[in-house]
Amino acid sequence: MPDDSPQLLPGTLYLLILRTLAAGPLHGYAIARRIKERSAEVLDVEEGSLYPALNRMLLKGWLRAEWGTSETNRKARFYSLTKEGQKRLVAEAGEFNKLVNAIQLVMKTA
Amino acid sequence: MAFLRELYLRLRWRAGRSRFQADLADEMQFHIESRADELESNGVPRSEALLRARREFGSRLKAAEDTSGAWQMQWLEDLAADLRYAGRAFRRNPGFALTAISCLALGIGANTTIFNITTGFLFSQPSCRDNASLIAIWEGGKMRSSFADFQFLRNAQVFAGMAGINPEREVNWRDGDRTSRFYAGTVTDDFFGTLGVPFLLGRGIAPGETNTAVLSNQVWRGTFAGDPAILGRKLILEGRVYTVAGVLPADHRSVVGFGISPDIYIPAAGDDDNVQFYARMPKGMTLPVARARLLSLFAQLDRIHPNEGRQRTDRQTRVTGVTGLDLLQQAMPGVVVAFFAMLLVVAGLVLLIACTNVASLLLARASSRSQELAIRLSLGASRRRIVRHLLAESLLLSVLGSVAGLAIDMACAKGIDSLALPVPLPIHLVVSPDWRLLWYALCIVFVSAALCGLLPALKAVRKDVSHALKQEERQTARSWNLRSVLVGGQLAVSIVLLTTGFLFVHNLLRATSMNPGFDVHHTIWAYMRLVPEKYSDAGQTKQMSLVRSALERLRALPGVEAAAITRRVPLNDYCAIGTELRTDVSPTPIHLQYECNSVGPDYFRTIGIPILRGREFSTADRTGSQPVAIVNETFARTVFGKTDPVGHTIAMDFANDKPKLIVGVAKDSRYFTLGERQRLAVYEPYFSLGEPINLHFLVRTAGSPAACVKSITDALGSLDATAAIEAKPMRRALGLALLPSQAGAVMLGAMGILGLMLAAIGLYGVLLFSVSRRTREIGLRVALGATPPDVLRIVGRQSLVLVGGGMLAGLALAFFVMQPLATFLVPGLSTVDPTAVFAVIGVLAATALLASLAPAVRALRVDPMTALRYE
Repeated sequence: MPDDSPQLLPGTLYLLILRTLAAGPLHGYAIARRIKERSAEVLDVEEGSLYPALNRMLLKGWLRAEWGTSETNRKARFYSLTKEGQKRLVAEAGEFNKLVNAIQLVMKTA
Repeated sequence: MAFLRELYLRLRWRAGRSRFQADLADEMQFHIESRADELESNGVPRSEALLRARREFGSRLKAAEDTSGAWQMQWLEDLAADLRYAGRAFRRNPGFALTAISCLALGIGANTTIFNITTGFLFSQPSCRDNASLIAIWEGGKMRSSFADFQFLRNAQVFAGMAGINPEREVNWRDGDRTSRFYAGTVTDDFFGTLGVPFLLGRGIAPGETNTAVLSNQVWRGTFAGDPAILGRKLILEGRVYTVAGVLPADHRSVVGFGISPDIYIPAAGDDDNVQFYARMPKGMTLPVARARLLSLFAQLDRIHPNEGRQRTDRQTRVTGVTGLDLLQQAMPGVVVAFFAMLLVVAGLVLLIACTNVASLLLARASSRSQELAIRLSLGASRRRIVRHLLAESLLLSVLGSVAGLAIDMACAKGIDSLALPVPLPIHLVVSPDWRLLWYALCIVFVSAALCGLLPALKAVRKDVSHALKQEERQTARSWNLRSVLVGGQLAVSIVLLTTGFLFVHNLLRATSMNPGFDVHHTIWAYMRLVPEKYSDAGQTKQMSLVRSALERLRALPGVEAAAITRRVPLNDYCAIGTELRTDVSPTPIHLQYECNSVGPDYFRTIGIPILRGREFSTADRTGSQPVAIVNETFARTVFGKTDPVGHTIAMDFANDKPKLIVGVAKDSRYFTLGERQRLAVYEPYFSLGEPINLHFLVRTAGSPAACVKSITDALGSLDATAAIEAKPMRRALGLALLPSQAGAVMLGAMGILGLMLAAIGLYGVLLFSVSRRTREIGLRVALGATPPDVLRIVGRQSLVLVGGGMLAGLALAFFVMQPLATFLVPGLSTVDPTAVFAVIGVLAATALLASLAPAVRALRVDPMTALRYE
């Protein structure tokens, strides 16, 4: 099934994670799940790239991680946005919108 | 900022890595279980759900590795691994590691020590607050100017503060019934406050105080045995009572620089003191602005108090910083700077030798490890990785070498710290390691690591892998090219070092045995320093009678043949005058440079300079009588040619200088340095000029002078208990004159020997290695009937080519490199010194013989059977 799910543009994974976390802290599984749901099952984040990405974002100071208890009563690691992460989200979202609009313009008119 | 935070996070991650990995495993486990829960709620059985969830997740190991990769600093991890590996390799081969490290330690120790001395002497940072805003003022280009000018500048309030010091005064200290002499610095009001000098104990001399003193650390520790209750102690200096207000710290460096540090500081007395001017610029002022302001002040001064001779607004008037090169250019003779530059170059050469040594050791190691490296290459290690690994080895070597080298340097610094230079100046070098030394050492580490490691590492990976894998490298004479070039080059450089060292040792021997033109074996120099206040009001008569009775007593002592007084002791003080001179034989004045001295009756007989024509001065030659002079041979020849100067007159172009009648011609002698070119000299009678408070008596003894020192000291001491007296045989007083050649001989001789030692180690190592690589070949030759002499010839030819080539190259190099050294040598000694050349060739040939002997013996001991079985 996942073979026909489109490849993510480079860097968009960060944006998706940032946007997903804007609503509140989530654990890794919930992040992947949420992205899949919101994209109407089109975007499937691979686990093999999710965790490295999360850690790179921790290192950049965009995210913060804390251990907590999940809805199923298991120990889970919850990620949330830092102030810097919020700023980053605003900036990247703007950039992304510009890029998408531009691409669509080309697609419609060219 | 972001970079630092990242670094911090990475390091924190590194510290808690195992916990992090456990956490990550938990997190992934949670992910899989959550997915399984979801599948289960959709009706998939639990075991099936878990399996599917795991499959969907993919490789957990890979995910964990990628996640760790986000945190790691790959290069640091690699470096750490390489260093660990190198450390293990060194432990397995301690002989190699020890040799390499001690070579580097010697080279680096020599370098840092020379660097330390050089920076301590030439580039020391004064111990003051905010050195950058401090300036030195050179009124008319002079080092010191009058106290009155200083006060004028200070009252003008152009600067944020002004400080003046004369660091070369002397004071007598009366301690019970002993009197001794201190080097004193006289300082202006609030000198220490303006400069912001930190204190160990107490404080500086406060503004307005006239009777407080500050002690240097070395005097406090030495003379006063580090007395903790020193503050408030009363000292009788120059017949006046001073109270100790403070003690300077051990690492104090005076604002004057060049290691000059007086024993004691007292307030400047006033008008008769000339001081060096220092000023603190207010915020925002620059050097050109400061100079412009000063020039306008000096122009005012020139109008109010015209200076005789030079104008204060002279082009020479300069403003410089108190540190670094500008101070150096203004205040230091080029030859001293050149000497230190040469020392640095020489020390650099020693390090170069040490590095080539280590490089050839590493090369040898790399070629015996070629199989291991080939295996690693063929298993997929990148060449870059292997070069990095080999460089890590040399880096570890140089780090260890530098640590040992710095330890050597500390030991040397301690030695230098306690060294008293035989100069009539209060010079005390503070050579404590500082950040400059650390930077220097760090640079050396990296340069030497690159020098030692790069060549062997590149060579190691250039080899053909399949060839190296198949068989151990067959040793033939051709394949030790790079190593032998290294050793040859090393020999060449060490020849340069050694010839320089020998040249300076030869120079020292020459200088020591050089005839100064007077008798140093039967003469004593007694220095009597009077307290000025005691003699100032009585005028000249009191001093004259003191000198007269002193000479009477000295002459009456048993064993004393003659005694005289002189203004200057040759080779310890000098006074060169350049002026226009008129004679009664020619109407045109001539411009001359000559040495001057004022000497009492019997001077020439006492010091042993023959009078060739005419007579010595007598007691009749004094103020008011016919002005007379004695000239030396060279003066007579230069000014009068073949005419006998006795009976003629000379007149200098000074204001109201009367023509002097020449009454005698003295034989030439040395005046300031042993190595000087023959100078012109004019002697005048001692009592014809104003009396100084520094009395220099010369005494001629019948027997050994050492036996008379005490009776002379006592005889002079009984005349005036407040006078400081120091008597010593003239032979010992030659310290200053011999210092340059001694310093040169010691430093360069040491470097030469060090260089030779290192080169010998290198030569030995390479010969030994190459013979051991030829074990098989030699075994084969012996089995085929080669005799021991044949084998020796093989080994001998190898070292002969190496040593001979290196020597020829080195001698040619030395010939060119040493040309500029002529400045430092005594006359008659050329840079092409056959003695030095032969000595060097002899020493190196002996070393080479020794270095080849052991491998040759080893080669002979090879059992043909053992050697052949290797095939």
